[in-house]
Amino acid sequence: MRRLVLSVLIVVVLPSFAAGGYKEDFAREFLSKTWVGERIEENACIDCHSSEQMKPAFQEIPDEWRKSWHAQNNISCSDCHGGDPKDPSVSMTHQRGFVGTPSARQVPEFCGKCHIGILKNYQESGHGKSLRASGKGPHCVVCHGSHNIQRANIEIINEQRCGKCHSYDRAMVMKQALFLVEKKIGVIEDGVRALRRAGVYSAEQERALFNTEVEFRTLFHTVDVSLVNQRTGDFTRKLAVLEKDIQDIFAELRSRRNFSAFLLLLFGGMAVLIYLLHRTDHQ
Amino acid sequence: MWERLNNWLEVRIGVDDLIRSQVSEYRVPKNINIFYTFGFVAAVGYLIQVLSGIMLLIYYVPHPDHAFRSVQDIMLKVPYGWLFRQMHVMGSNLMIAAIGLHMLTVFVMGNYKRPRELTWIGGALLLFVTIAFGFSGYLLPWTQLSYWATTVVTSIPTAVPVVGDFVARILRGGDQVTGATLSRFFAFHVSILPPLFLLLAGFHLFLVKRIGISATPFGLPAEEKRPWTEYHKKSHVDGYPYYPRFFQMDMLMVMVYLAVMFFLITFLPNIFFPADATIPADPFKTPVSVRPEWYLLAQYQLLKIIPNKFLGVIIQLALFAVFLLWPFFDTEKEKNIMKRPMLRVLFLFAFILWVILMFWGRS
Repeated sequence: MRRLVLSVLIVVVLPSFAAGGYKEDFAREFLSKTWVGERIEENACIDCHSSEQMKPAFQEIPDEWRKSWHAQNNISCSDCHGGDPKDPSVSMTHQRGFVGTPSARQVPEFCGKCHIGILKNYQESGHGKSLRASGKGPHCVVCHGSHNIQRANIEIINEQRCGKCHSYDRAMVMKQALFLVEKKIGVIEDGVRALRRAGVYSAEQERALFNTEVEFRTLFHTVDVSLVNQRTGDFTRKLAVLEKDIQDIFAELRSRRNFSAFLLLLFGGMAVLIYLLHRTDHQ
Repeated sequence: MWERLNNWLEVRIGVDDLIRSQVSEYRVPKNINIFYTFGFVAAVGYLIQVLSGIMLLIYYVPHPDHAFRSVQDIMLKVPYGWLFRQMHVMGSNLMIAAIGLHMLTVFVMGNYKRPRELTWIGGALLLFVTIAFGFSGYLLPWTQLSYWATTVVTSIPTAVPVVGDFVARILRGGDQVTGATLSRFFAFHVSILPPLFLLLAGFHLFLVKRIGISATPFGLPAEEKRPWTEYHKKSHVDGYPYYPRFFQMDMLMVMVYLAVMFFLITFLPNIFFPADATIPADPFKTPVSVRPEWYLLAQYQLLKIIPNKFLGVIIQLALFAVFLLWPFFDTEKEKNIMKRPMLRVLFLFAFILWVILMFWGRS
């Protein structure tokens, strides 16, 4: 029997050595391919902009983008600039919707394709009106940067940046008006992260936070301090509801843990009891 | 009332007789030890899986659009849904560990030897079916982790020429892991594997009862240690009755099993739920690290380190065949592993290799 099994194994294993290198396409198909279908970055924009033929300043763009908040959220070159990243021969044609570098006046519309609410409030603000009138007002890129765009936070309002065009006093009042809500947003973000770490599916809370955050950020692009002050209460209330929701989930997790610990003690205790009974019976 | 009911059952089924012959008069060897309880523990583990699985089945929806959401609802909204899911998940891993330990102790004590070859094969197939339970159930929550781990494992047959792609397509119900895969994995998990498990468990138990429990080879006279050449039921007339002595040992280990389960649920509730297990499956986004559960990690790592995938798959199948048919390879009469240095070295080598590959696959 042992000989039979060994023979069968040898008959099966040996041809596998031969078949492994038998055909070229077999080798190509199975030996070099990864087990999982990895996503291969097929992007004509990145290929060209990373090449030596590109101007040095343009070569830095892919790396800047990779570090950006946009890249982290899967927003790629063509999402802003249009074109076709899959076909290098026509990637930058107008037929494929390519838009190159926008002029200063075009920037708000360029970013506003996605950031619709912000565009509306910005255009009604002093910043937007100034840009439209003179072509020199601060637009999105002036405050947020372009390819290496990072997640916006309150620190974007600072003397160095705002002081380029006007005195910081007014901006400082705005920053103070935003401070409490921003702080609360930070606390809730930590809470959502903790929920995720605890293995809780927190998409509902994340979506609610995201919507409130977007609404809030949209508001302060009006650069209207009195409006921000007036509506801060609404945001604080919304965020308080969300915070309570997160706290309730943590309270539920604690109660689950206690219940489970009770069952652990119950079964552990029964194990000890049975052991003692067994020992007594044996003696 | 109770006496009348008992009498009614006694006349029709013979309960007293059944209990007498199978429990109080059923004798086990005198030198039986705590390691003999793992089989019973695994059977109780299976019962826990069935009960918790039925509770999950009430709320689970096996459809790609609803599977993830329904599992999250079980965890967050269904009263005590979290408890049944945690018991099911922890239980699936602990049950594999219990069967693994059962086989390990049977191996060390040489209890697979003649005439128990088929008992061993039945046990090995039960381990295989339990792993298949774990693997098919892994996809059901439809998370990033489960989706990509299933993609990895179902791509393994593609390394076999000619029939490989066909086998992978049969497993997935198409070229990719999709709703069709979820449907067939669900059907496999809840309606094909349970009767298969019961059939194998019944066969395994029948053999254990027919042949009798094998005593440990340690501390026995030489002739007792040698395997038999002809059938005679090993009834251990000089042994202890199963009840209460060995039943207490069985129940003690069941309580330890449950205590370990609730220890994990209390202190390590996310041990089998890494970050990707709380993200819905996204076929367009490959996670940074894809790996199967701990019990398949060694096999997965072995496949990764062998550059020729076909050879890797064949080696896996060969190792499985050796494991399954081990009683036919080891025909030595000596049961005591302490008197067989070669077997001891082989066992230690295989065990250490398995542990190394498992941790290597985890890193």
